[in-house]
Amino acid sequence: MAAAVSIQGLTKTYLDVWTKTEIRAVDRLNLEVEEGEVFGFLGRNGAGKTTTIKMLLGLIFPTEGTATVLGKPIGDIGVKGQISYLPEEAYFYEGMTGWDMLDFYARLFRISEPERSKRIQKALEDVYLDPSAWRRPLRGYSKGMRQRTGIAQALINDPKLLILDEPTSGLDPIAHAELRDIIANVGRQGKTVFLSSHQLPDVELTCSRVAIIHQGKLRTVGKTAELTSGDTVEIVYKGGDAALLEKIRKVVGAGEQSNGLGRVPGVAPKDTNPIVDLIRGAGAEIVSVAPHKRTLEEVFVDTVMKETGS
Amino acid sequence: MVTLAIAKQTLEDMLRRKILLILLIVAVAMIALGPSVGFLSPRESSAVLRSLGLAVILLAGLLITVLTGIQVIPTEIERRTIYTVLSKPVQRYEFVLGKFLGGLFTVFVMLASMGIVFLGVLRYQEGRFSPDMVMGVIMTFFQMMLLGALAIFFSTFATPVVNFFMSFGLFIVGNLSSVTESLLENKNVATRAVATLVHYAIPNFGNFNIQNKLIHPQVVIKNLNMFIMQNVAYAIIYSAVLLILAIIVFDRREV
Repeated sequence: MAAAVSIQGLTKTYLDVWTKTEIRAVDRLNLEVEEGEVFGFLGRNGAGKTTTIKMLLGLIFPTEGTATVLGKPIGDIGVKGQISYLPEEAYFYEGMTGWDMLDFYARLFRISEPERSKRIQKALEDVYLDPSAWRRPLRGYSKGMRQRTGIAQALINDPKLLILDEPTSGLDPIAHAELRDIIANVGRQGKTVFLSSHQLPDVELTCSRVAIIHQGKLRTVGKTAELTSGDTVEIVYKGGDAALLEKIRKVVGAGEQSNGLGRVPGVAPKDTNPIVDLIRGAGAEIVSVAPHKRTLEEVFVDTVMKETGS
Repeated sequence: MVTLAIAKQTLEDMLRRKILLILLIVAVAMIALGPSVGFLSPRESSAVLRSLGLAVILLAGLLITVLTGIQVIPTEIERRTIYTVLSKPVQRYEFVLGKFLGGLFTVFVMLASMGIVFLGVLRYQEGRFSPDMVMGVIMTFFQMMLLGALAIFFSTFATPVVNFFMSFGLFIVGNLSSVTESLLENKNVATRAVATLVHYAIPNFGNFNIQNKLIHPQVVIKNLNMFIMQNVAYAIIYSAVLLILAIIVFDRREV
C-alpha cells in the first residue's frame, strides 16, 4: 500500500530571540502513514504535533528534511485539493451561517454549482448537524456544533486524507462520543485520517496505528493492538490454600487470594506453565489465563516517562 | 473564482464590523447636516457644502481604508481561519489579492454610500446634479485604493498597531508632495537627496486632492481629463507594485 504521508528527517527549529538559543520543535522526524488507515499522532502539549502538521500543510517551512503527502512534495497545490484539515480550536467566520461557511470553503476547492450545494448538504448531514441550524450564524452555535461544522468543512471536498488536530477537545461527553463516531465512520469509508489528539481512549478506539512524539522526536510507532497487548498474562484460579499462594509468590513475586479466588497478575510467558502446573498440582481449578492488555494511556505514559527519565 | 470568493467573504466580514458602520453613519449624518452650515451667501454656502462634503468623505474614507487594510490579513491569522484557507488549494497570491479586493470593495461600498448622500444633498440644495463632485469622490476612491494597497503591504510583516501609524504617517507625508517637490530645487545637497527620495518613493497622495480645483472655479487645470487619467493610472500601477511586494513577502511568511 502506498504512503499517504511520508516524512524523512523533518526538522523545525526556532530561534529564541531573548536567549539566542535554538529550539527544536520537531527533530529529525521519520514517519510513514499508509493510505486508508486511521493514524493517531500522540504527544504532550508542545511535543511538536501541530508544528509537524503545519509543515505538512505548507503553512510553515521545514528547517531540514523532506516530506510527501499523497506522493507529492508538501505545499503542492494539486494535493491540497485532495486533503482537508481541521485545526485545533479553529475559529470560523462568526457572522456566516453554517451553510455559507461551507459554501465559501467549497468555492476554495473550485466546486461549482449545483455540485456545491449537494456536497454542502451531504457534509452537514454526515456530521449530524441539525438542519434548523444550517442557516443560522455560527456565533449562535455551541462548541459541539462548531466542531461538527468544522469536520463538515473538512469533508466538503471528499478528501483522500483528513488531518484533524484535537477535534474532540473541550466537548461534552455526548458530543465527544458522536464526533468520535463520525471520525471512525470517515475511516470506514477508506479515507486516510491523521488524527492528532490527547484523547487517548478515542485514539485507542479509532486508530489502527499510532505514533508517539515527545520533545520533537518520534519515540514509538506501531499498531495500536500490538502496542497495547502486554507480554504477560493474568491467571485466575479457584480453590487452593495459603501454601499454594506462597509457592506462586516465590515464582512470580505476586499473587493474591480472597473469597476462594486466586489472582496472579503479570506472569511472564516462561512462568505460565509452571504456575498452571502448581495450581493444578495443589488441586485448585484454573478459571482463566488471559493476556494482560495495557491501555494506550499506559503505553503513552510509559513511553514519555521513559524518555524523561522519570 | 478563489480570489473572488475570498474577496466576497472579506467584504461581508468587514461590513459586519460595527466600527466601520459607525464611521459611515457619522459621515453620512455630517454630510446630510451640511446645508445647516450654509449661513453665508448662496455662492459661499455652496462652496462650504461641497468642501465639507468632500472633506468628510476623505476623512471617513481614510479611517475606513486604514482600519480595513490593517485588519484583513492579521485578523485571519489571529482567528486561525487562515489555516483552513491556506490548507486548501489556495495560492498565497490569491489570498493576498482576495483580501485586497475585499477591502477595496468595502471602501467602495462605503464611499459610494457617502457619495450618493452627498450628491443627493447637493441636488436638494442647488436644484441640479453636480457631476464634478462625482469626480471628487472617484479621485478619493483611487487615493484610498493606493492607501489600502500600502496598508496590505505593511500588514504582511507588521503588527496592526505599527501598520496603523506607518500607513497614516505615509499618507500625511505623501500628501505633502507640493512641499517635497519645491525642495527638489533646494541648494543643500542633503535636503535635495532626502526630498527626492521622499517625493519619488512615497506614494504621491497629494495629487489626488482636487477639491480645490472642483470647489473654486478660479483654479484651472489645463486638461482635467488627462490629469484624472494620469492619477488613476498612477494609483493602479503603484498599487500593483505594492501588491506584488506584499505577495513576495507573504509567500515567505510562516503562518
